[in-house]
Amino acid sequence: MKRWTKAITGVAAVALATAGCAGSGGSGGGGDDAGQNEDRTLTVWLMNGSAPETLTDALHKEFEQTHDGVTVKYEVQEWNGIQDKLTTALGGQNPPDIIELGNTQAPAFASQEVLTDLSGDVGDLNGDQWLESLKASGEWDGKQYSTPFYAANREVLYRTDMFEQAGITAPPTSRQEWLDAITKLKAKFGSDPQFQALYLPGQNWYTLLSFIYDEGGDIAEKDGTKFTATLTSDEAKAGLEFYKQLVEASGTTAPKDNDEQTPEQAGIFGQGKVAMMIGLPWEVDTATKDAPDLKAKISGFPIPSKNAGETAPVFQGGSNLAIPVNSANADLAKDYLKLMLSSKYQTMLAEAGMVPGASTDLSPLEKNPVSKAMADASQNGRAVPATPTWATIEAGQNPLKDMLTAYLTGAKDLNQATADANAALDAAFSG
Amino acid sequence: MTATAQIVVPAGSPPPAPPRAGRPRRAGLGERTIPYLLLAPAVVTMLVLLGWPMVQVIGISFRRLDLGELVRGEVVWIGLENYREVLADPEVWTVVARTVLFTAAVVAATVLAGLLLAVLMRHLSGGVRVALQVTLVLAWATPILATTTVFQWIFDQQYGILNKTLVKLGFDSFAGYSWFSSGTSTLTVIGMLIIWQAVPFVCFTIYAGLLGTPQELYEAASMDGASPWQAFANVSWPSIRPLVTLATFLSVIWDFKVFAQVWAIRQGGPDGGSTTLPLLLYLKGVAGRHFGVASAIAVLMILVLLVLTARYLQLLLRSREADLS
Repeated sequence: MKRWTKAITGVAAVALATAGCAGSGGSGGGGDDAGQNEDRTLTVWLMNGSAPETLTDALHKEFEQTHDGVTVKYEVQEWNGIQDKLTTALGGQNPPDIIELGNTQAPAFASQEVLTDLSGDVGDLNGDQWLESLKASGEWDGKQYSTPFYAANREVLYRTDMFEQAGITAPPTSRQEWLDAITKLKAKFGSDPQFQALYLPGQNWYTLLSFIYDEGGDIAEKDGTKFTATLTSDEAKAGLEFYKQLVEASGTTAPKDNDEQTPEQAGIFGQGKVAMMIGLPWEVDTATKDAPDLKAKISGFPIPSKNAGETAPVFQGGSNLAIPVNSANADLAKDYLKLMLSSKYQTMLAEAGMVPGASTDLSPLEKNPVSKAMADASQNGRAVPATPTWATIEAGQNPLKDMLTAYLTGAKDLNQATADANAALDAAFSG
Repeated sequence: MTATAQIVVPAGSPPPAPPRAGRPRRAGLGERTIPYLLLAPAVVTMLVLLGWPMVQVIGISFRRLDLGELVRGEVVWIGLENYREVLADPEVWTVVARTVLFTAAVVAATVLAGLLLAVLMRHLSGGVRVALQVTLVLAWATPILATTTVFQWIFDQQYGILNKTLVKLGFDSFAGYSWFSSGTSTLTVIGMLIIWQAVPFVCFTIYAGLLGTPQELYEAASMDGASPWQAFANVSWPSIRPLVTLATFLSVIWDFKVFAQVWAIRQGGPDGGSTTLPLLLYLKGVAGRHFGVASAIAVLMILVLLVLTARYLQLLLRSREADLS
């Protein structure tokens, strides 16, 4: 059966190739210099909202100029349903040559050996400047299957006018100062029943990760390609306790059984009764969509650490770039990656407000206080366990979310909540 | 429908066949093949669109098919390994039991509510009945996910109208009450959502049966001094029974494999407490990319459905035979 399929696809491929040649034969005819690059197409799939159009336009122009006869077929994909689409596309006969993968999805693809091993090319691809968390996401079993692209991490977005009125002179730089700021804000604005010093829904597990990292813990321990959950550690418990302390101190009325997307926290922040929220820089734009005058009053600071003067480590979300193993243009694709990860285009990414994956130059981000706060914290970025099973966890049943809700609503005590989530996470890791 | 027809046309000897002139002639080849030719497009379409995928699913359930095998085009036969893995997982049995119970509860409530509404509709006067019918059609016509979103907001912990109303009515303990904190509570909300969307169809189907019941039968029953309950049991029920069976059967199939609403509400949470078989299939198969295991679960689902609907299938087959004889 397999041989049959191969034979048929082979025939189809040959037929297509000849058809392609015949179509262009008229002009290409003689022996010009295009050589093997003649009429090759490099298919690039990037995600909606990742690289800005100015960057891709410039990059594709440069790439086509330096690679005679090559056309870049650029397709912007939607995040929604991308896993299924990638699965189908990679299983098809004509896969894209460059794909962008969410960093938490990357291990699922790497472990199945459907991506080209790039271990030997790291040096060529600006490897010494790679962002540590995204590099880790792209690794599987000691090999590098995808490269960093860009990242982002959460920070505390706050209302400068409210801080001023409450007599807070500088953004908090420790947990204690953070809690003090909440007290001051409540003293000043607390008479308004709709006021929230900090909007923090019960299932913002990215923020919980920050607190656990800050305590010196993690959610899992790595041993080769195996992961073991470590939510019952004292550090993880301390992180969870601080989350609860923060929820209680802030008097947030955000739902304890939902995350920051339902309802969208930026929309609530934009109503003007919230002094702080923990979010991504571009949530400022969402928040101020209907209240443009608010924009000038919003700034950001890194999530404070329990150690005064430090910033808490943060979960880094972002994207990796990879070449499908059955790409027919792997050589061109590597050239493309090289260009994309060069400092020129990485700087353009930073200018667009993202933490570049292959450049340690963060100066473009420092022009704006909100992106500067992200850049400051990004030095201490971490990734979720680089295991293929994480994709399943994120697809729906995230034990960390269940743990947060159970603990915050009092349905389970600290030991019970962490033990249950630990078992659920281990079960998920075993796939 | 057959039962309705039997009531409309009093039972008796069938009308005599039109007299046929001459000797019975043999049908030509063309005449004999035409029915099959006419059936062919439908049969072929069904085989291609339903039969082939079904064969594929059964085939895949005996293979190891993860992303890697899919991309490399490998065919790895592993016999019953997928079934062994699925059946050895205690969670799967919990999910099967939960799905069966959930389906039974939702179907029972749907059919009962549909039946009551249909009877009510028959007794309502013009304007009110039209209002009720329009309401039902609207509930039915609203896209599934739109209704789901509305329900999510109704039951929202902080902003939900239900909690706010309950607090206004004096039940202060519902301030900030989380309806999605346990699997049972979450499934109850999902069940209500599905019932809400399913009742209109069942109601209209049964109502159609009631309309087909001749008014004279009710008059006769009332003349004989039948109570409303007796009228229902002896006049309405016989004529709508096949339709109720049909609605129940269809509801079992629909509710057993419902995915969108269950997934949208809480993705099967909390702690996997509202995970039903279709969700398990999605989590293992699509999210976890173990297509072989997912196919085994799919085959398992078909088997459970067959068991659940065996009685109806039996009735269906028997009535066919009766029609034929």
